[in-house]
Amino acid sequence: MASAVQLMGFNSSHLRCHYSSFRRHPKTIPHPLALSSSSHEATYLRCFLPSTRRRRKVIGRSVSFRSPFLPTTAVLKLDEAKLVSIPSGSDRVEDRFPHGAGVYGVYDKAGELQFIGISRNVAASIAAHSKALPDLCCSVKVGLLEGDNSDKTVLTDAWKSWLEEHITLTGKIPPGNQNGNSPWVRRPQRKPDLRLTPGRHVQLTVPLEELIDLLVKENEVVAFIKGSRSAPQCGFSQRVVGILESLRVDFECVDVLDEEHNFGLRETLKRYSNWPTFPQVFVRGELIGGCDIISSMAEKGELVALFRK
Amino acid sequence: MGVTKEDVEDALNDSLKPSHLEVIDTSGGCGASFDVEIVSENFEGKRLLERHRLVNAALSAQMPHIHALSIKKVLTPSQWKPLEKA
Repeated sequence: MASAVQLMGFNSSHLRCHYSSFRRHPKTIPHPLALSSSSHEATYLRCFLPSTRRRRKVIGRSVSFRSPFLPTTAVLKLDEAKLVSIPSGSDRVEDRFPHGAGVYGVYDKAGELQFIGISRNVAASIAAHSKALPDLCCSVKVGLLEGDNSDKTVLTDAWKSWLEEHITLTGKIPPGNQNGNSPWVRRPQRKPDLRLTPGRHVQLTVPLEELIDLLVKENEVVAFIKGSRSAPQCGFSQRVVGILESLRVDFECVDVLDEEHNFGLRETLKRYSNWPTFPQVFVRGELIGGCDIISSMAEKGELVALFRK
Repeated sequence: MGVTKEDVEDALNDSLKPSHLEVIDTSGGCGASFDVEIVSENFEGKRLLERHRLVNAALSAQMPHIHALSIKKVLTPSQWKPLEKA
């Protein structure tokens, strides 16, 4: 097998991903795939078929007689992928699309391609997009990668080739892929909490007050909370984090209970802000308030106005 | 010695002259936790934070004995009117 593959010009990574389909369909012979202009790694994409999503068929191009939707080149081309409409409700989105790694293109109501993305969990990404930008997410094309071929370069190459295909065709970069278009590419994972010091053993060269001052002035929105962003230790802190996240505010979080990295912060911050309790939310260097104030501002829509400035 | 609902009301009445005041003891009697709704002309032209500061200042004597004070509403009379009818 190995020598046959070498004869055909495969490198080892091609061998690995093609081997399985070769074994499953011994009558078909894998052959070198036409590489897209941008891709020096062959990318094996499965055509995404909604009707067969439960079975998740693994289909190599060598068995293309099984379905008219199958790709005929290494990378399933953008114009070959089937356009599937996005159902409303994130549960149904997750149910409808495959959870594997792949490339996807999101189209708006007018059928304009808005964004090309890659993901290790296509369904989750599409669900997140349609939740974040419902107006721009009407339907989607998906090109799934073979299960064990989801490393980053392969994903990136698939993304590049779709993007190039679209640009060649229309001369335009999808709006969501243009620089500085953050709503599409917002990182799904939460930011880590900020720490004021590297540790308790380190002697500070500036007073803690100055550190706090710098922190709240250099970051647009800072929340000082009890516990971490992902696991607040107090109900009020949790509510504030929930409100800020629901408004999709890009904010920094500082855990005032972290005695190792934020030693002495609670007392110093109370003095600095002249505010007796936590959480405390600062916007552009100014204390906005604690849980009660943030909640009531959120209810009245004042918070949205504040962050929009 | 706990703080009673009346203590909180007295302190707020004295310093803020509210036109509407509602203090709810949410501690179940031990005097450690209160919800407050307060309407006063003193809040006119002040941001929410400054209003909360006024309330906190008015209760500074009681604060050390209060575990939780939740200020549900701090409004000016003009803001309160439409809510009152509803």
